[in-house]
Amino acid sequence: MLTKMENQQKKGLFKDGNNRKKYEKAAEIFFLANAAIAIVSVFAIALFIFYKGLQPFMPLNEEGTYSFIDFITGTQWRPHDEISQAAYGIFYMIIGSIFSATGAIILGVPLGILTAVFMAEIAPKPIAKLMRTAVELLAGIPSVFFGIFGLGFIVPKIMASSPYSQGQSLLAVILVLTIMILPTIISLAENAIRAVPDTFRQGSYALGASKIYTIFKVVLPAAKSGILAGVVLGTGRAIGETMAVMLVAGNPIAGIPTSIWAPVRPMTTNIALEMGYAFGLHQEMLFATGVVLFIFIMIINIVFNKIAYGMKSS
Amino acid sequence: MKSNTLKSYKERLQYLLVYGSAIISFGILLVIVGYIFYQGVGHLSIGFLKNDYDSKTVYATVSVDELGFSLEKDEEGNYVIDDITNIDITNTAKDPQGNEVDFDRGDNIISINMKNIEALDQEAINQLIDDGDGETLIKLKKAGGGIFPMIITTLIIIVSSLIVAVPIGIFSAIYLTEYAKQGKLIRIIRFSVECLAGIPSIIYGLFGMLFFVTMLNFNYSVLSGALTISIVLLPIIIRTTEESLKTVPMSYREASLGLGGTKIQTIMKVIIPSALPGIMTAVILSIGRIIGESAALLLTAGTAAKIPDGLLSSGSTLTVKAYLIAKEEGDIAAACAIGVIIISIILLLNLITKMIAKRRQAL
Repeated sequence: MLTKMENQQKKGLFKDGNNRKKYEKAAEIFFLANAAIAIVSVFAIALFIFYKGLQPFMPLNEEGTYSFIDFITGTQWRPHDEISQAAYGIFYMIIGSIFSATGAIILGVPLGILTAVFMAEIAPKPIAKLMRTAVELLAGIPSVFFGIFGLGFIVPKIMASSPYSQGQSLLAVILVLTIMILPTIISLAENAIRAVPDTFRQGSYALGASKIYTIFKVVLPAAKSGILAGVVLGTGRAIGETMAVMLVAGNPIAGIPTSIWAPVRPMTTNIALEMGYAFGLHQEMLFATGVVLFIFIMIINIVFNKIAYGMKSS
Repeated sequence: MKSNTLKSYKERLQYLLVYGSAIISFGILLVIVGYIFYQGVGHLSIGFLKNDYDSKTVYATVSVDELGFSLEKDEEGNYVIDDITNIDITNTAKDPQGNEVDFDRGDNIISINMKNIEALDQEAINQLIDDGDGETLIKLKKAGGGIFPMIITTLIIIVSSLIVAVPIGIFSAIYLTEYAKQGKLIRIIRFSVECLAGIPSIIYGLFGMLFFVTMLNFNYSVLSGALTISIVLLPIIIRTTEESLKTVPMSYREASLGLGGTKIQTIMKVIIPSALPGIMTAVILSIGRIIGESAALLLTAGTAAKIPDGLLSSGSTLTVKAYLIAKEEGDIAAACAIGVIIISIILLLNLITKMIAKRRQAL
């Protein structure tokens, strides 16, 4: 592109100012077109998934129709049964996803924030630097390996203390997800804590407050919105995580989890587990699961955007 | 006085919580990396890196009078090649279709001249070859259990998705920093990029499957996978490039425009070259993301454990294979061995990014 432009310049195409303006305009449109790909992608992704995922609830669908209410409130997923008896209920998966994400947030958020406090306020510089590298590495490990770690390390440990015989459980999912959202929460919380102006701390010290008092009563409240953004982002990760969860969730075909020892089947793993061989109504139902997941993620994204935007303007 | 000690108890507890959390977080990382290395390192070998995943049985006709390799009994009592002493055996070996056959260490020899050699000793095997007047038919089983096809697939997907995503990402970033005025359009673009960053990989997989695999009829192929991943990469590349474009001083632009350069010349010859380290960082981050990606690729590139014949052929990357090995074969050690390789690569990529950032600061 560059050489073409240079050639044209050598030929004197640009001597005319009008032409030059046109060329500039064309370049701007070219760059805009590239930037628009992001918009088009989001729309295309939403459109395609909604189009395919809403098919089963439309009357006169070729593959057969299914009641939307049954889909959203059902607690059984039996796609392989006889057509008249097949059930596609994802209510227990929605609950599974929410429980897993909530559990991970309950464990991961305090752990992450306190670690960030240590790194930003207490640790000597070299240690903070070392820990930051460690957090980066933790963030870089592909999700599958958290699942493999969970399957090889956490699941057998749970099996030893669980009242049930299987270790693949809600607890395993929560633990794996906690580890996976830690880097997100730590790095966002650390940034937020570091962004708190020093005058806040000095003011607190001047009033005779101790260091730890200042951290908990002054610094953390001041860094609230940044930390909250980290929490929301972490929730998004926890809801959307697939491969690691699939290895440790147990993925039962029915049943709302009633204890942390019970196996779960979050929405993401439902899709990834069966998509490889599904067809017809079964496949459309997996896309419908994707629609519900997509709506969850979009709500989280919009909340995150609001928080992040609010942070910038304040 | 009483309240003072109470306060100090509370403070001690708070310190305990902070130190405890830091130790737990740091400890978790050590346990995970330690576990993967502990399980995986023992499984690593040259064969693991360069063998096919599936073992393959082939017949080869060899025109030599002597064995040309030394044999060794493995744990299951099969003869495997221990060392190749006569290079001719590989040069002249042909399968029935006339293709060359390589003999490698670790390959399992099943029969020579149609006679099963499992029960024979070395002496008798040599005798067998002598009997076959210069043309020896060897049935051998090429060792499997390796990840070579997955390494190649991963490389193909890295290269092809970067080719698609990097230019689009850079041009988008240029629009956002150099052209766009604050307003609705730029907010929509920013919001889209945020959304793309937040969409989970499995949703990308669904989209890729519907659009590239089914609608465009690319089937499960590295092309479908690469195109899907390209969209995944867009936010990383756009954001990182944008950051580096913003750090190019205004004076550079003013100088270029002042010398009579057009805006496009300024962008191509001044801004992009000075933002190059940031663009490099974007590429490296993208490579890390591609290597780590699995859910989207599972649904678009397929799971075939072979070297893809072309862009329209299916293949699984290292992480997808690691998942399958852990899930379907329950072989944690082999999956961790892949983990060792990948974590080492990620560490290396982190190191390179750091070096680039440092050099940039020094400038």
